[in-house]
Parts: sequence; structure tokens; C-alpha cells
Amino acid sequence: MIKKRWSLALATIAAAGLLLSACAPADDSGGDNGGSSGPVTLTYWDFLDPSQDNPRSNALRDNVAAFENANPDIKIDLSVVALGDMISRLPQAAAAGQAPDVFKMFTPQVPQMAAAGAYTPLPADALAVDDWLRPADTLAGPDGQQVAVPYEYRTCALYYNQKILDEIGATQPTTYDEVVDVAAKAAAAGYTGFGTGFSDTDNSAIIATFFDCFMSQVGQDIWNEDGDVDYAGDKANEFGDFLADLRDANALGSSVVSDTYSTVTDGLANGTVAMAVLGTERIVTFGTSNPDIKWADLPTASTGDQTGATFGWTMGIGAGSKKIDAAWKFIDFMTGADAAAGLAGGGEVPTRSSSYDDPYFTSPDADAVNSIAEYVESNSEPHVYQDNWIALATGLSQAGQELYLNGLSGSEFISTAQDAATK
Amino acid sequence: MTLSSGIVGIPSGINKAANNPDPGNNVRRRRVDRRVWLYAVPVVLVFTFVFIGPLIYTAWTALHETTYYQIGEFSGLNSFVDLFSDPELPTQIGTTLVFSLGALVIALPAGLISAIVLNGLHRFKRTVRSLFLLPWLMSQAIAGVIWLWFLNPNYGPASSITTSLGFGPTDVFSSPTSALIAVTLITAWWSYPQAMLLFLGALQTIPGELRESLKMDGGGIWREFVSITLPFLRNTIVSVTVVLLMLYVQMVTIILVTTRGGPLGATETLSMRVYNQTFLDFDLSGASATAILLFAVNTVLTLVAIRFRRKEAL
Repeated sequence: MIKKRWSLALATIAAAGLLLSACAPADDSGGDNGGSSGPVTLTYWDFLDPSQDNPRSNALRDNVAAFENANPDIKIDLSVVALGDMISRLPQAAAAGQAPDVFKMFTPQVPQMAAAGAYTPLPADALAVDDWLRPADTLAGPDGQQVAVPYEYRTCALYYNQKILDEIGATQPTTYDEVVDVAAKAAAAGYTGFGTGFSDTDNSAIIATFFDCFMSQVGQDIWNEDGDVDYAGDKANEFGDFLADLRDANALGSSVVSDTYSTVTDGLANGTVAMAVLGTERIVTFGTSNPDIKWADLPTASTGDQTGATFGWTMGIGAGSKKIDAAWKFIDFMTGADAAAGLAGGGEVPTRSSSYDDPYFTSPDADAVNSIAEYVESNSEPHVYQDNWIALATGLSQAGQELYLNGLSGSEFISTAQDAATK
Repeated sequence: MTLSSGIVGIPSGINKAANNPDPGNNVRRRRVDRRVWLYAVPVVLVFTFVFIGPLIYTAWTALHETTYYQIGEFSGLNSFVDLFSDPELPTQIGTTLVFSLGALVIALPAGLISAIVLNGLHRFKRTVRSLFLLPWLMSQAIAGVIWLWFLNPNYGPASSITTSLGFGPTDVFSSPTSALIAVTLITAWWSYPQAMLLFLGALQTIPGELRESLKMDGGGIWREFVSITLPFLRNTIVSVTVVLLMLYVQMVTIILVTTRGGPLGATETLSMRVYNQTFLDFDLSGASATAILLFAVNTVLTLVAIRFRRKEAL
């Protein structure tokens, strides 16, 4: 009987112990290391999957391996996290003290993640870097402290399928009005005239980035001085009118309400979409997947301007990281000259002027990325984002759904999108 | 079972033991009673940890302001006032009921029919059972992605079929009504094997003699179903209804993967509202208030379903 009682007590203690251990924070693998000496394992979140066989994934895999070879004491524990998941998981992880040591983030979402406490301010070494091609201090948190550095630059470009345009007897459009005309002809020939998407399953990526570039073109600020979404007006209405004209010309895809960035790029690649405005990061990929896809400057808006917004992916250090020096060493490598050739080979534009000293950039292999870099420099400008990008993007996709399904006008689209963002 | 004359409902043997003046017996009983508590402690701990604790924390969060995932100052019932003054709430409750009851109406008979078919099979039983179980073996995310691909208007097989038949591409996720029907059907398809398994287990407990005597009396398949199968399965039907309803009311993943609540909020159930408030709006306080409402809806639906079971048991 005594034995039984003891075994019961032990079982109870073991159960309680298991429960308590489940509550305990996870161990920092690799040990604590404030400096760069000693073995360190950095947790790193990236949206790219290095096990995939495509130029950008290959470049990531090679660059991480090169960093580990150059720094035998630092190991990279890479987790593949889709952007949508990253946006929801980072604030949770930061609140629980489990943020990764390093993570990538899309430029417009940096302020929101900073406001959510996902970042550790960058160390002095990072702030001392002065060869960014574009000002990096716009990547700041609510206190104005810089929290991220640019990893690659991109902006918007017009993509079109030359074969489809030849078939319908059209030439590359240079204004948004011409885009509507050409898209209408392509739609009459059985294609999706202009590819865009109003789904918010991928955080409204395609419509939000297009809107961002269009607002730069027409010179319309998206936020007011208080950081509130405040863009409704004649300039923004031009964007809404363009979408409404496409709808009226039956030039939007019949599935535009549920289309995403990837469905539009798939449609372009497989020849069912005639035109789209997408990021420049797709240029190299399209060049190999479908040679009929060409790219050009953004069509001119009523202002005659073709200058879009500069954005792209950034890298930052996670909140609560105890390995700041090692983390910065990794970020410095990934954004610096050592990784630039690999990055450029994947079609991404390096962000530091010193990177372009690498002999790779004078070789014929670099022609494509050099032309993209020139385009980004001449046809885009960076601007400051506020900490409500997700609401802004969701508002645009919801208003887009209403535009297509409920027949909103261009100005109604804009006011609906703004109201949804400020709700 | 005989009852004692003094205390109604207590078996006489136990009552006698209770009146036993033997002090050794009483000591042993007290030891047994204490041991029961020891057995109960781990269960109570786990229940508190995984249910009571989170429930109290959710209510606590709903009563406070939140900034991202940080809990701020006490805000009283503000989150509930915001919730119940939201003009979209009635629509979302309606969507939740349509989605949940719609999926139930499809999955319940589908599970029952599949189970009856399986129960009557004498050859290839294991193979057919495995095929019927396939949807449930997939994760909800995989099921959603498969249907998203299958129904894709640009390159999905369904679109190829409908286009070749002259109906044009499938655009089910592009209009509010068809999107709600689609996510309901996908959810029912994914979940019906769960009902099938439970029904199959219950069917195998029906005594074969009953069926044989019905046949001797000239009863056909329909009479067997109405007079034997259904009465025997009544409690199982209630149990399956409760399990599936809880599953549907709390469903997020399939909706998230396929529509994320759109288009125009047509598939935004209360669970999706909780998800969107938490991860899109970062409004943890509002999401907690919605979660409490969701819990209440789930409780009401479950109690209604259980009531049928109790009546039957009596």
C-alpha cells in the first residue's frame, strides 16, 4: 500500500513537472554569445526555400553556405516562413521572447513590425555603413531608430506578352489609357487583358504594390502627417478610374476577385495574361520561363511621370536577440560584396555601392541585373511607410472586390479602400 | 437492482457498507476516498491548464486594451460594446450558422451512408474503407490547397472539364454565394470520414438476430433502416452532430487557405473574424471578445444537440 501511495505521488509530481516544463522558455541553442567569438547558432527566418531549385533560392542557399564557411563559429538555422505567416508570427514570437535572431521583412511592413516590437535596434556598426544606394534611415520604428537595412531593391514595371500583342496587332502601351485599350483587345481575343488580383489571401500583395507605385507616379502621399491613411482625392481617383475602365472593358480576369500575386505571375508565365504591373524581381525568372514576356517602364500617368516607389526585402535583428554582433555579421555579409554576385545571379538588385565593385558586375552575366539596377535607380524613389500597411493593403483588396462585384466607380473604390483602412 | 429502503438510488450493498460499524472498514474507505483525489489531481491540473486557464485569460484580455500582443489598461466592456455594435456581426453569425449547418447536413448523411455501405461489404472492405478515409487523412491546409488548385479558373482540372463541356472556367471563389457553397462543400468532404468511422463502430454493435427476425417478418431494407438502424444509432447521431458542429463552428484553416473570409466577407465566419482580428488587425482585445461569443454559440449548439441524447437516454 505504501509503495502504491508513493508511486501515485511520484506520478502526480511527474505530471506537474511535465506541465511546468511545457511552460518553460526554450533553450537558446548554441549558447549565449554577445560577441562574435565562440560557437553561435543564429535563428533566421526567410520566405525563400533554399531547397527549391530556382535562381533566388539557389542564391540564398549558396550565400548562407559561403557565410558559414567564412565564419566557422556561426551556424545559420534557417526557417522558411511565408510572408503572411511571418507577419502574424513575428509579433507573437517577440511577445514570447522567441523572435528569430535575424529575419527578412518587406519594406512597407517594417514600421508595423517595429511597432509590434519585433526588432532590436541595429548596432552602431550597422548604422556606420554609408554606401547604401538609397537612404536606409527610412526603415525605422516608432521612435525613429533604424531597425532594418535593405537586402534588395525593386520597383514596379510593366510586363507584357509580346506574342499576344503581336496577335492582336498592338504595340507596347506607354500610358495607362493605352493599357486599357490594348487590354480590351487582348480580352476580346480570349486572354486576360490586364492581370491583377483583389484577393487578400496573400496580404493583397499585387494590388497594394501597384497602388504604392501609382501613388508615387501621381505624386500623392498615402499618409498624412499623423501617420493616418489619407490619400482620397483626384490623384488617387486616377488609379480607381484605371481599374474601373479595365473592368468596363472586360479586360480584368474573370477570377480577379480571388487572384493573387502568384496566380497573375503564373498566368503571365503560361501565356493567358497579356499584361500586368509587377515587381522587377520577376524579370530574370520570366526571362527563363517564357521568353515572350517583355518588360518596360511603367506607363505614364496623367502627370507624365513614370517614377514608382522603391521597396524590396530588408534584414533586421529580432527583438531580444542575445547574439547581436553575430547577427549583424550575418546581415553585413548577406547585404555586402561577398554575397552580391549570388544575389544578382538570382535576379535581385544588391543594395550597396561597394557590391558593384565585384568583377561579376562587369561580366555579360550581369547585364540583366545591371539593367534592372539602372531602372530601379532612374525610375523609382523610396518613401517612408507607416505602421498600418496591412490595413491599407486589405482595404484596397476589399474595395477591389466591391469594384468588380458591385460596380463601384473609380472614386468610390478609392473612398471605400480608405474607409476600410481607417476603420 | 434492489434499492435500500432508506436512501433512494443507492444500491443496498453500498448502503449496508455505509452503515457498517466496523472502524477498520471506515478507515479503508477514507483511504480509498483520498486516493480518488490523487487520481483526479492530474486530470484537474490538465483541465485547468488547457481549458479553464485560457478561458479566464481570454475573458481577461477582452476586458483590457491591447497593443499588438501586449495587454494594457482595464477597459471594461468596451470590446463587447464594439463587438455588438458592429453592423457586420449579424451577417457573420448568419454565415457561421449557414456554413456549420450546411456542412453538417452534407457530412452527416454522407458519413452514415458510407458507413452502411462499408458495413455491408464483404470483399475489399479494407481497401474501400481506406479510400473513404482519404480526405480525413489530409491536413485541413492540404485539403484546402488541393481544392484551390483543382478549382483554379486558369489551370485547374475542373476548369478544363467545364471549359471542354462549354460552360467556361470555374470561378467558384470569385462570387460570394459560390465561395460560401464551395468552402462548405470542401469542409463537408474533408470531415465526413470522421462521421463515417463513428457510425461504422455503432453499426457493428447492432445484433444480427434483429435483422434476421425482421427479414423473417418480411421487412425490407427501408424498414430495417427505419426500425433497427436509426433507433440504434440515435445516440451516435447526436454525438457525431456535436463533434462535427464544434469542428465547423471553430473551422479556420480551410477557409483561410481558400478564401480568407472573402469575397466581400461572404465566408467570414466568427472563427475567421477571430483570426482576422488577431493576425490582420492585431486587435487581441476585440478578438478575445469575439472568441467568448464564439464559445457561447458553440455551447448553445452543443447543449441543444445533447438535449436530444438525454431524452433518448431517459
